[in-house]
Amino acid sequence: MSLLNTKSLSIGYGKGPESKILQKDINLAINEGEIISLMGQNGVGKTTFIKTLAGLLDPISGSVQYGEQDLSGISSGDLAQKMSLVLTEKPFNFNITPIELISISRHPYSNWIGVLSPRDKEVIEWALNETHLNYIANRKLYELSDGQLQKVMIARALAQETALIILDEPASHLDLNNKIEVMMLLKKIASQGKGILISTHDLQVSTQLSDRLLLFNFNEDTNEGVPEDLILDGTLQKSLYLDQYGYDMISGTINFDQKGPSVSVSGDPETKFWVTMALKRKGYIVKDEKQKVEIICSAKNHFKILQDKKKLEVKSIETLLKNLSSI
Amino acid sequence: MIHQYFEESKSKWLKILIGIGIAFILCFIINISLGSVLIPIKDVFLFISGSETTSESWDLILANFRMPKALTAIFVGSALGVSGLQMQTLFRNPLAGPYILGISSGAGLGVALVIFLGFYFGGFLSVTGIGRSWLLVVSAGLGSFLVLLVIAVVASRIKDSVSLLIIGLMFGTASGALVSILQFFSQAENIQAYVLWSFGNLGSLSWKELGVFIPILGLGLIASILLSKQLNALLLGENYARSLGLNIKRTRLLIIINTSVLAGTVTAFCGPIAFFGVAMPHLTRMLFNTSNHLLLTPVLILFGATLMLLFDAISQLPGFGATLPINAVTSLIGAPFVIYLLIRKKNLGYSFNT
Repeated sequence: MSLLNTKSLSIGYGKGPESKILQKDINLAINEGEIISLMGQNGVGKTTFIKTLAGLLDPISGSVQYGEQDLSGISSGDLAQKMSLVLTEKPFNFNITPIELISISRHPYSNWIGVLSPRDKEVIEWALNETHLNYIANRKLYELSDGQLQKVMIARALAQETALIILDEPASHLDLNNKIEVMMLLKKIASQGKGILISTHDLQVSTQLSDRLLLFNFNEDTNEGVPEDLILDGTLQKSLYLDQYGYDMISGTINFDQKGPSVSVSGDPETKFWVTMALKRKGYIVKDEKQKVEIICSAKNHFKILQDKKKLEVKSIETLLKNLSSI
Repeated sequence: MIHQYFEESKSKWLKILIGIGIAFILCFIINISLGSVLIPIKDVFLFISGSETTSESWDLILANFRMPKALTAIFVGSALGVSGLQMQTLFRNPLAGPYILGISSGAGLGVALVIFLGFYFGGFLSVTGIGRSWLLVVSAGLGSFLVLLVIAVVASRIKDSVSLLIIGLMFGTASGALVSILQFFSQAENIQAYVLWSFGNLGSLSWKELGVFIPILGLGLIASILLSKQLNALLLGENYARSLGLNIKRTRLLIIINTSVLAGTVTAFCGPIAFFGVAMPHLTRMLFNTSNHLLLTPVLILFGATLMLLFDAISQLPGFGATLPINAVTSLIGAPFVIYLLIRKKNLGYSFNT
């Protein structure tokens, strides 16, 4: 059974005739064990959608259902046990420790004064372990980096123990290492039967991690499907306006203006890949068939330049580029 | 790991509470030992232990003047500190205090109306003794209660708390303007009576008045401890707090009522004691380095009472036989201390990341 359903949902701001509709007719189902990524350009309504699902904003029309229940009929206390949030906003007070912050997420379960039960403490410890935050659990928030704080906020959502976790751009402050760690963590949590919705600009997160993609477009209907299908039929590129910059979906690189001259590169595939990247950045047209200027990558620190029977050997891509520009 | 953390934190805060408790008892003894009449410390101890002192007049002074004043100081200190904390957290603003919503301005307007207009109906100054002080209490109480009513109605209509803050400021300014108009058309003696009220006074409460004062503030302080959980959720910001099941509008209303009852009662009985409510939360957060309200609220109740006892003792000007207005003392001593702590800590940013 799906954890969350939206039926012909329209989202936006304001009420009555002055309301501004950002997206309409959104039909989404999030099932147990599923990761769904939400993509779209800035200002297209991703955060508005998340706030609407969380009951922080009212829908313009249509409905949001958690299981069988309509969102409007769920009390805020019950909703807090079904859905947890990781928002882009920071807590306003930094003079508390991650443990204290995560303790706050046990509020839906604790008594009127918020004293933690042994079970609450177990859950907090589990959330800290899962996110590998034990080493900073005792510091103050103002001593943490943005990336560490982001992971604390994710740990906080975990400790809320909800079937559904909604994250707004969770990867935005993280370095690659931490981003991969968070991606693996989300995958593990999903495999334990939770549903996860991520709003993201990160193509790695959306294509490698997600089971399905939901795309928001300006003035057009939303698209939904398996990421690879949306890439192959060009929907994703169109939705994110990537095609106009010559974005290459396969290598995940941008094609800069290339004016020439043409060169050919051959040799060891890995070295060849990076030499090609460097040449493209400098505006050379790289071709596979032989050109007047030939570059042979014989090793990772050994390159040969052939031109009009002249031969030059260099040891780094830096000197290679220098010598090419003097030709 | 986590159990060790909670154990350590528990023993640390227990030590802090015991430490402040000892300071509290010390300040209490200092407070009742000082005054215009010199009473030997031995007799003060005799009085506290319940036996009679060597002089009947000392008994009278201690029982009817110094004890009520010390009790007033204790509850005023706790109430102002806690309500300042609540306002700073609710409005995410380091400059907020118990009077930020216009509570004291409302009380001031009530008192001004009674003093200045009372002049036309037989004269306020002709009312003396107990009747006069109850008249002031009732008029100040009604004034702050009216402001509370308006703010509560507005709070249930608007979404964000900062707008509420600005509306509160507007109330304050408007009633301040009305008071100055009244002053403009008033006579010197009446203005003096009003100014004396606005200095704040801890020493005017009799046991009869304390019988009303202490139960109200006691209940308010208990309520403030019960609101700590909600205040902690607000530390994450309103969106997170709502996602944790917090009903923002109801919580906001409860906090406002709690603060208004605490600050309004203090103002009604003792006049507007400024500064203390703004500075105490900062002082406590900086000295004990936490923003966790489950710890901060009880510590503030005890620490606020301790400091108010000390400030009141200082206002007795031991050896001079005169008393300074309590407002002047809290500001003169408190302000440099807060400045010192701020310079040492570099900034407040860690507690107010707006």
